[in-house]
Amino acid sequence: MATAAIPALETSRLKKLQALGMMCGFAAGAWLGAAEAPTKLVRAGLSPVLISLLMVVGVFLARWGVPALARGTSQVYADAQQAPHLIVWAVLAGCLWAVANTLTIFAIRDIGLSIAFPLWNMNSLLGIFWGVLFFHELRGAGRRRWLGVLGGAALMFAGALLLAVASPTQAPPGRALQGVLAALGAGVLWGTMYIPYRKAYLTGMNPLSFVAFFSVGELGMMTVLALRSAGGPVLLWQQLAGARPVLFWLAAGGFIWVIGDLFQQYAAKYAGLSRGIPLSNTNQLWGLLWGMLVFGELRGRGVSLYALVIGGSVMVAAGAAAIAFSSATPGEHERWQAAATRESKLYGTDIEYVRAGLEGRALERGTRRTVLDWALLAIATLVFAVLAAMARAPMVALNTGAAIALLVSIVAILAVCGTALWRMTRFS
Amino acid sequence: MHNEQENQTQRWWAAMLRDPHWWVPVIVLVAGLIMLQWIR
Repeated sequence: MATAAIPALETSRLKKLQALGMMCGFAAGAWLGAAEAPTKLVRAGLSPVLISLLMVVGVFLARWGVPALARGTSQVYADAQQAPHLIVWAVLAGCLWAVANTLTIFAIRDIGLSIAFPLWNMNSLLGIFWGVLFFHELRGAGRRRWLGVLGGAALMFAGALLLAVASPTQAPPGRALQGVLAALGAGVLWGTMYIPYRKAYLTGMNPLSFVAFFSVGELGMMTVLALRSAGGPVLLWQQLAGARPVLFWLAAGGFIWVIGDLFQQYAAKYAGLSRGIPLSNTNQLWGLLWGMLVFGELRGRGVSLYALVIGGSVMVAAGAAAIAFSSATPGEHERWQAAATRESKLYGTDIEYVRAGLEGRALERGTRRTVLDWALLAIATLVFAVLAAMARAPMVALNTGAAIALLVSIVAILAVCGTALWRMTRFS
Repeated sequence: MHNEQENQTQRWWAAMLRDPHWWVPVIVLVAGLIMLQWIR
């Protein structure tokens, strides 16, 4: 049973990890924003809950396939043995995600994306609040850093508001109160979901292990919600069978989303909630880029609309930059370590495991793949191959050149950030 | 071996009950589910 405090960590190493976390936050924004693109190819009259469920199926396959490929599931098992209580936290976080995502669907239905998006985007402000309250973030950080983080988050929120006003999706009025409450509720659920994230990473858990357990809660809760929405398993199955031609695009959206989410997890681990989460909210900029350049969403609209888009984008970028320049001081890192010691004492987690996690190294080396890993990879590949074989080519007009350019950009971001993560932490 | 594992599991459950952070996500999740039911 470990009760000692964590021995002091090397400051230069922590600084590098912090920079890596910030980089992961920006990469998360790029990939989370791109995840919207495949779903835009789907124009069929599917129920929003079904769309969400199908994306989660892709997410589930990716969340077990990627860890199997990157580290081997034996490492996931080793993590679970070190801190089994985090499995419950991860499942809880997955349930929070599923309910929040479903609430956003109703919010869009009732008040439209333009009003709903900034409302649920306040999740990053709540993330900062929980980070400060529960995990000692920004304590001893100094006025300049407080101003950088809070001012940056507020600027991003205001920019998101402008971008959302420019968004082309609008909904008929009528159920405004329900819609506003649903959007705010989604923001509160997502903002609260970051408590389990931070808890896991202060304890030293590997993000790849955390997301694997997270996806169990996510898929379980989403299946229950979809069953209720469809009116039973038979009706849900009929809806799924009817959606065969578009299953691949939705699952692909889920797969892309997982890559963004993984970067967000590493951002939360190495930069903390107060920096990592607002940075990953730059996804709105990327979503807008895909919408404008690839799907021609704002074509032919007035000059004032472009002014809104440019103004909003500049504000989001400036807010993100303010946060990126407010990295944690050694004093703040000591407070983080105090929070990690508290978690370790409470659950009796091995202090060496916690320390290794904070330093971004794996306690146990070796990533030998087992039969289970290859089986998981084979199943995930097979499911995607079958869905692709059933898929129908999209009937939506799109700018292929712009799509290729954006794809090349996000793949380059993945390569750069993935290599940095591997070199510094071996994906720990 | 079996007893040791059982004791360990009990210790973890006891620690979870002592953890002051539990109530926040649990209450928020329940509230979210109630809200979902109301909004439909």
